[in-house]
Amino acid sequence: MTRILFSDKLDNCIAKWRSAGLTVIGPVQGESLSGYAAVEKAAGFEFGMVLPERPLKELFFPQTEPMLRYTIKKNEIDTTDFTAPQGKRIIFGARACDASGLAIDDPLFGWDYKDEYWFQRRNESVIVTIACTKADDFCMCTSLKLAPDSTKGSDVLLRPIDKNRGWLIEELTDRGREAFAIISDYLQESSEPAVPTVVVPEKFNLDACVTWLQNPENFDSKFWKEISMRCIGCASCTYLCPTCHCFDIQDEGDTYSGIRRKNWDSCSFALFTMHTSGHNPRSTQSARWRQRIMHKFNYFPGKFSVNSCSGCGRCSRQCPVDMGITETLQEISKL
Amino acid sequence: MTENIQSTQQNIYKPAIMKIVGRHDEAPGVRTMRLEFQDPADHEQFKKTFRTGMFGLYGVYGEGESTFCVASPETRKEYIECTFRQSGRVTSALANADIGDLVTFRGPYGNRFPIEEFHGKNLLFISGGIALPPTRSVIWSCLDQREKFGKVTIVYGARTVADLVYKHELDEWQERADVELVLTVDPGGESPDWKHRVGFVPTVLEEAAPSPDNCIAVICGPPIMIKFTLISLKKLGFDEKNVYTTLENRMKCGVGKCGRCNVGSVYVCKEGPVFTAAEVSRMPAADL
Repeated sequence: MTRILFSDKLDNCIAKWRSAGLTVIGPVQGESLSGYAAVEKAAGFEFGMVLPERPLKELFFPQTEPMLRYTIKKNEIDTTDFTAPQGKRIIFGARACDASGLAIDDPLFGWDYKDEYWFQRRNESVIVTIACTKADDFCMCTSLKLAPDSTKGSDVLLRPIDKNRGWLIEELTDRGREAFAIISDYLQESSEPAVPTVVVPEKFNLDACVTWLQNPENFDSKFWKEISMRCIGCASCTYLCPTCHCFDIQDEGDTYSGIRRKNWDSCSFALFTMHTSGHNPRSTQSARWRQRIMHKFNYFPGKFSVNSCSGCGRCSRQCPVDMGITETLQEISKL
Repeated sequence: MTENIQSTQQNIYKPAIMKIVGRHDEAPGVRTMRLEFQDPADHEQFKKTFRTGMFGLYGVYGEGESTFCVASPETRKEYIECTFRQSGRVTSALANADIGDLVTFRGPYGNRFPIEEFHGKNLLFISGGIALPPTRSVIWSCLDQREKFGKVTIVYGARTVADLVYKHELDEWQERADVELVLTVDPGGESPDWKHRVGFVPTVLEEAAPSPDNCIAVICGPPIMIKFTLISLKKLGFDEKNVYTTLENRMKCGVGKCGRCNVGSVYVCKEGPVFTAAEVSRMPAADL
């Protein structure tokens, strides 16, 4: 017997969580792109999509984040810290790739210097992942040795039952158990089976790719120029990536008062690495695409023992010129 | 967006407030500033952590932050000195600040020159143009405890006489009996009264021919100078393990998160900025 949450009880659960002080967030259609956002009613959720277009990371590492407010008077500078928005929240209906992405970035935001903006939100969020029962041609979690029902980064894993009538509950962490204790009145015991998770075919041989990337000789391979020739450097892949974490720090305001912000940035941009002298270590689009792939599958795992990719496929799905990590690693697999 | 303001929390991106207590123009567009901490706690933290070779992010609120080395030595921690060329938004704002004005400093970050390991050894400093500041931090850190080191040789060159920085200190080093200073300017950069060498740094270095025996070399300069100086040092018999340099890449966070300063797999902000030539030669040259 497993406990089950029937979808017709979801409104009750949302009300219960909300009255317990939790903001309820989940996949929503959104105005332009779909993403994860707060809802008040179950009807606001959109569980039908393979995964939202915008990544879950933006709820932890927003596109723009105010860090400090500064006020300058004669011979005096006052600063006030902004902190990540306070308040516990439950993310209901995350995808496994998005949840894994959070766990992948934890060590990066925590090594030596701890980024409180990230960790405060991490500590205040319960991640309830729904295992995938459908996928599209871009999904590639299995190629990254993850799965449509990976538990990495999740506090609770839900498995859908037949006809979208509800979900079987697997509580993974204390935080998950606490959140589900709040709604225990609405849960039922059941022996109903879960719908099998979708089969996502493996698209490339990750180990072979990593071996190729680790070979110093391949850093200067003509492969990089060929594969990235189409890249227009728009940065969509990095912005929509659930693990890309690069940022810029900019002041918004004037000499007397303003806000210092942390904004998404991208290794796709030429200015990203440009020196004051005009020298640019990564002056070509191919050098920048090489950096992105090397970073994800060679440098990042070298430091944190995990690939900086969870296989969501957004980079390929949203690329305006039809290139992405999948295409690149498939080509590397053939070398 | 909800923007909650909270009282002070541990915020790794929050800089210390510094007062400008001294300014000195070194060369056209190049200025040195001496900064003092306003909060004693920030100063204590700096005194505990700063070692020569480390860098910081210097800033002006409303303009942003720029990364340069700490140009003052680890033997003088009452203040921080930085030397920069006015070239962009932040450096212009810094250059426009007056004595008494407040600016910001975040750091010190990165690794350092392991100068205890240099004890008892001869030291050869080689520098070009505006790259003297990081070298100068090491030079004074050693000269302030002169007895611990062997022979000290400084080879410094710039494009023109006007471009030489720390001219007053060059005079001081020139007069010291325990320092050998070799100054040079690029051909065409000499003034009528120039009494020193004319020639590029690598050539002048080869003429000076310092012995590699028991000697540590510290080189800082533009990439092209470093490239040819390394060749010259090799000719002179220096082992790459005994040659140190410092890399300066664009940075925003300084603490290993913003993702831009890496050369290959090496994060300059955390594993550097100080590297031996042997370490640099293992990095992918196309990423430098």
